[in-house]
Amino acid sequence: MSKKNQRARALAYGGGTFLLLLFLWEILVRMTDSQIPFPTPFAVIERFVDMLFHNVGYYYTIVGHVLWSLSRVLAGFCMAAVLGIVLGLTMGWFPYVRAIFMPIFNLLRPIAPLAWIPLAILWFGIGEKYKYFLIFIAAFVPFTLNSYAGATHVDKQLVGAAKMLGANNAQVFFEIVVPAAVPSIFSGAQVALSNSWMTMLAAEMVCATEGIGWIIIAGQAVNDMTQMIAGMLAIGIVGFLLANGMRLLERRCLVWNNQGN
Amino acid sequence: MTKQKKLFAFRMKIISICALFGFFLFWYLVTDVWKLAPETLLPSPLKALETGITKWSVKKPDGSTLPQHIFASLRVSLLGFCFGAVIGVPLGIMMAWWEKADMCLKPVFDFVRTIPPIAWIPIMIILLGIGVVAKASIVFLSAFIPCVVNSYTGIKSTKKVHIWVGQTFGASKTRLLFKVAIPSALPYIFTGLKVSLNSSWGSLVAAEMLGSDSGLGYMIQLGRLLCRADLIIVGMVVIGIMGTILSAILDFMEMKLVKGAV
Repeated sequence: MSKKNQRARALAYGGGTFLLLLFLWEILVRMTDSQIPFPTPFAVIERFVDMLFHNVGYYYTIVGHVLWSLSRVLAGFCMAAVLGIVLGLTMGWFPYVRAIFMPIFNLLRPIAPLAWIPLAILWFGIGEKYKYFLIFIAAFVPFTLNSYAGATHVDKQLVGAAKMLGANNAQVFFEIVVPAAVPSIFSGAQVALSNSWMTMLAAEMVCATEGIGWIIIAGQAVNDMTQMIAGMLAIGIVGFLLANGMRLLERRCLVWNNQGN
Repeated sequence: MTKQKKLFAFRMKIISICALFGFFLFWYLVTDVWKLAPETLLPSPLKALETGITKWSVKKPDGSTLPQHIFASLRVSLLGFCFGAVIGVPLGIMMAWWEKADMCLKPVFDFVRTIPPIAWIPIMIILLGIGVVAKASIVFLSAFIPCVVNSYTGIKSTKKVHIWVGQTFGASKTRLLFKVAIPSALPYIFTGLKVSLNSSWGSLVAAEMLGSDSGLGYMIQLGRLLCRADLIIVGMVVIGIMGTILSAILDFMEMKLVKGAV
């Protein structure tokens, strides 16, 4: 009973603050007479609903734009997952691989993914490939780092036991190290996903003709604040769904692991 | 360490150095010897090095020398970062310590958090222009969020036993906060600071690319427009080095300030 009560109280407080802020926003917009056409919250929500059914730009509704953005994220993310996990795990387990690739990786790692934008545009043009490349870079680093950490922190006793039972090095790698690194890889995937979502936005803002980042930048071009804020709302919603979907997947796949809770 | 292990470690070090050397050699071969890539797309490492050295004093082609760019970027990022830390850390602590603040602010914060700081750039440019303030507020947003999250988690994960001990000895609630909860949360807070420094440095680059007239992000963006890949590479390297230096400073501070950190 008291737990239920507390929940209701939390809901009341949280909802109250939300409403208060929205109210303040509305009041502030109505009171101030600024040169910039700043929308009220109702206008934003109205526009958002409108965007769901009518085209933004020439070709797509906001759902279409979100799907474009998601397709880019998915492509870069998957490439980064494959390469990053392979590189991280092998670096973590085989000392020769580590000796060869670790210094190069460490050399390139401190460069922020967004700093690659100009070079990526020069190399790949302003089409889809450039966005895939950027998202790949943004997701590659957390994947590699976390798989590396997972592979180096394998329980020594498990490895010892397997070796005593006659497993060779490859068997130990595939049967022990890889499964043991999965929780760590999942937490890397979480970071990689939010990184690539953010990088996708930046990439689309620099140059794109469709996508959720384009919606915002197109709003800026015509000074349409309502479109920008409605776009941000969509970004928030999709980002929230992505992060929680990933968490759900982790909980489903890693039932055996209490780190997943 | 046995002799064999030492030998192995030595061999690994040699291989590492060879790999790094091979990386640059390959780059050199591709660009200068085999001429596989035009210089506008991938300059040779020697050319990049030369540009990096001359850029220290030459203003061409983007109007500022490299130190001026570095200074402009540092000013904006440190301004935003300091504001983010000064507001974010106490807010996180407050949200975790007072239940009412938690219930009021957590939903709002969780909502704002889902929007990446980069998405704010166009709005900030319209509202505040392309000057220091707009960029600093982008950096502020990206520094603020990890600070709040980490100090919140740090305070929330204070050991109940420690609080009980404090209560048994008659400590007041504020005393508990300052003597028990905050010291035990310091490692978390520092992790938050490090994360926010990294992300603020990253979003600064984006902010400078989308609207600016100086700074490292502006320099590499202009390098793209002028097809000066050597300039871009110099900028990227400097961005990497500056990021490393900043986090090294924070690491040093953490070592000095946090007691019993791992």
